[in-house]
Amino acid sequence: MAPRTIKVDALVVGGGIAGMQSALDLADQGYQVALVEKQPSIGGKMIELSKVFPTLDCCSCITTPKMSAVAHNSNIQLFTYCDIQSVDKQGDGRFVAQVIQKPRYVDIETCTACRQCEYACPIDLPHPFDQNLGVHRAIYVPFSTAVPQKALIDIDNCILCGKCERVCPVGCVDFTQQPEELAIEATAIVLATGFEITPTDAKAEYGGGKLLNVVNALTVERLLAPTGPYGHVLRPSDGKEPDSIAYIQCAGSRDKSLGVEYCSRICCMYAIKQSMLISGALPLADIAIYYMDIRTFGKGYDQFYQTAKAMGVQFIKGKVAKITEDENQNPIVRVELIDEGSQVVERQHDMVVLSVGMVSKYDPRTIYDVNVAGDGFVDTPLTNVSPCVTSRPGVFVSGSAAGPMDIVDSIVMAGAAAAEAAAYIQATGPNGHGGGRSIAAGEEKELAHA
Amino acid sequence: MTDKKEDTKNRAAMLKSLREKHKETVEKTQALLKHNQSIRKQIRQAMQSGPMTVPEVAEATGLPSDRVLWHVTAMKKYDLVREVGMSGEYYQYELAQKENQ
Repeated sequence: MAPRTIKVDALVVGGGIAGMQSALDLADQGYQVALVEKQPSIGGKMIELSKVFPTLDCCSCITTPKMSAVAHNSNIQLFTYCDIQSVDKQGDGRFVAQVIQKPRYVDIETCTACRQCEYACPIDLPHPFDQNLGVHRAIYVPFSTAVPQKALIDIDNCILCGKCERVCPVGCVDFTQQPEELAIEATAIVLATGFEITPTDAKAEYGGGKLLNVVNALTVERLLAPTGPYGHVLRPSDGKEPDSIAYIQCAGSRDKSLGVEYCSRICCMYAIKQSMLISGALPLADIAIYYMDIRTFGKGYDQFYQTAKAMGVQFIKGKVAKITEDENQNPIVRVELIDEGSQVVERQHDMVVLSVGMVSKYDPRTIYDVNVAGDGFVDTPLTNVSPCVTSRPGVFVSGSAAGPMDIVDSIVMAGAAAAEAAAYIQATGPNGHGGGRSIAAGEEKELAHA
Repeated sequence: MTDKKEDTKNRAAMLKSLREKHKETVEKTQALLKHNQSIRKQIRQAMQSGPMTVPEVAEATGLPSDRVLWHVTAMKKYDLVREVGMSGEYYQYELAQKENQ
């Protein structure tokens, strides 16, 4: 049987903030959009965060309405928990993506996310959403503000005991579900595949991921979030409320040994933000930020830095050489204090946070036939004139799939990618009037010289 | 009534055949469940004496404190323990009334 075919103007790949914004910006102009996300919920990295810099607005309060807007927009068809297998260009110039809808083993139409199944399930598993410090059950609703707000079964960690099925009040558990094939036909594609953080175990000098109280910054976001695993800022080795917390800047960026030579552009600001939030949560805690140089280049960012200094956050110039731990699992930081006569000291803290960088998450070459740059992110050959244009006409890039950037820049780029995609659809698509900018022809010429 | 019986029988047969199909992961997860149940038993026994901090439970059970914290976090999420104030730099937890495992 031929797979179900969905015909749209634009296919947006990735349901993080950049993908959601591009989808909304296209949909609000009247274009039909299919948004495909591989996770069971949209929201991306942003929904994991506690607050945003430099306004300290609650992240969930900004992201959740966007997630709902995507789900309820009549011009957007949302496909979560889906994998795109291949993308081909048809004779009419339109793309066709072959998509696999993975089985949730729960009927999405009838599930009310009452979570009775989750309470009945006997299997506790580390929850990646909480950086594995929290738990979910083998059947679970991904997180409290997930969209769609529906349960799914982690079949690889399920004993098939059937308890969930017995307690479900609407009978939506369905162990017989199979993967479903879909085809999505679109004139333009927007890649919003996001980023990954530098693995915490990347640097042996920093404990190689083995020191329990050396955590990455995304873990601290979860500790600070009201929906976090502990509900408080506690250290993972024993649940102690930390008195002394250190941030190690550039712990995954500007580091040739990791092959990440670039600045990730967000780490200084998130470290400053988190230090301010921890000061609020733990007013007596000492917070030190070990840095090479502080980069606060955005609107209102430097004032934010000055505020953190005024709040008593210590900024210490020095690149941390090594982190070890004492017998009580307190991390010990070895650092040269550049502003104090370059003396080398060892300082003990209760918890150390690695300000890890942004690295590319997904290689789009095989499926989308676009080039990637030397840093692994999607290549944008016309960076200065059309920063969302990729090496392939009709495929655009949005947000951190193109390189390290913060939420503000991701949203700006998402709008730009939507505008570029809209112009392309107008110029080339079956519903286009042909009066739009002739992007394809122009770009192909420009790209040939790039 | 017969229909209901038939349904239950079919359902059980379906689950059994699925368990066979996913044999490897089911066995792995069953071993994990057994391991976790034994840890939970030790934690619950330690906490019978009243509110305790994570290091106190770790000391009483001989389990690593990070594992105790993870299990207490899980039990708290599913309402099996609750937080009851602080003792020094640590939160104290006690078994919830509806403890049912």
